[in-house]
Amino acid sequence: MNWLDRYAARATRRVAQATSRRHFLARLGTTLAGAAAALPLLPVARAGAPREAGDPQSCDYWRYCAIDGFLCSCCGGSTHSCPPGTEPSPVTWIGTCRNDADGRDYVISYNDCCGKSACGRCNCTRNEGDRPVYQPSKSNDINWCLGTTNNVYHCSTAVVIGLAAER
Amino acid sequence: MRLALVLVLWGAASAAVGDPRVNYMLHCMGCHLMDGSGMPPDVPRLNGRVGYYLGSEEGRRYLIQVPGASQSLLSDAALAEVLNWIVTELGGESAPGEFDPYTEDEVRQHRGVPAGDIGARARRLASELPL
Repeated sequence: MNWLDRYAARATRRVAQATSRRHFLARLGTTLAGAAAALPLLPVARAGAPREAGDPQSCDYWRYCAIDGFLCSCCGGSTHSCPPGTEPSPVTWIGTCRNDADGRDYVISYNDCCGKSACGRCNCTRNEGDRPVYQPSKSNDINWCLGTTNNVYHCSTAVVIGLAAER
Repeated sequence: MRLALVLVLWGAASAAVGDPRVNYMLHCMGCHLMDGSGMPPDVPRLNGRVGYYLGSEEGRRYLIQVPGASQSLLSDAALAEVLNWIVTELGGESAPGEFDPYTEDEVRQHRGVPAGDIGARARRLASELPL
């Protein structure tokens, strides 16, 4: 292996003598910055999040098309998280809403947040596609605080969980 | 040419009943959850378990007649596809290696039949099948 050692040492020395570290860093930086600008960004992080418009604290926000309750966005939570001191119901009812910003239908999970008395802010009742309680999986009149440690209803979220089939 | 026609027809058929995964999301996962883990004992667990029901005719019918399936808003054809999707995608080790998939006709045949005491049937099945 002596010849390989000698070759590696000679090559390394030649590179070290002919270039400077700052020169290398400068070239590397230019290459990385140029690559980021020139190549299209991968759609990985953007795939799950729809392009959207509107105010999540307003009842006419697109995700709330079938909601019936207090908006967690007005109660210290958000469209997809519960306010402090409450826990999300694991079971829920599922619907779809048309996102006007991109014209596509998304599957929405209306998980209730439970464990504190009713929030009382931003009551929103839109009920699109809501069915009577004898179709329980499609009814928003049910208190979905089932399976939580406390069954008291506080507010409702509207979580985008996927893209519905194109119509 | 014939292949293209078949693909077009297949596409039209699948568009008519919808993607079974999306139908599962819309009609089942609210309670059974996306991974099929459910919320035992109130919501039965499907993953790693549902396939055992295909081991008997009664189990096969039970999956059609259980209220969450029979009373869903899915058409017979769409329900058949969702049942097949659940068995293959969530059944895990319980899914039989080969099985006769549910068809629209089979669902239609059993769906409208009164299910009787569904709780008693569930308990009987649970005692007979390797659940």
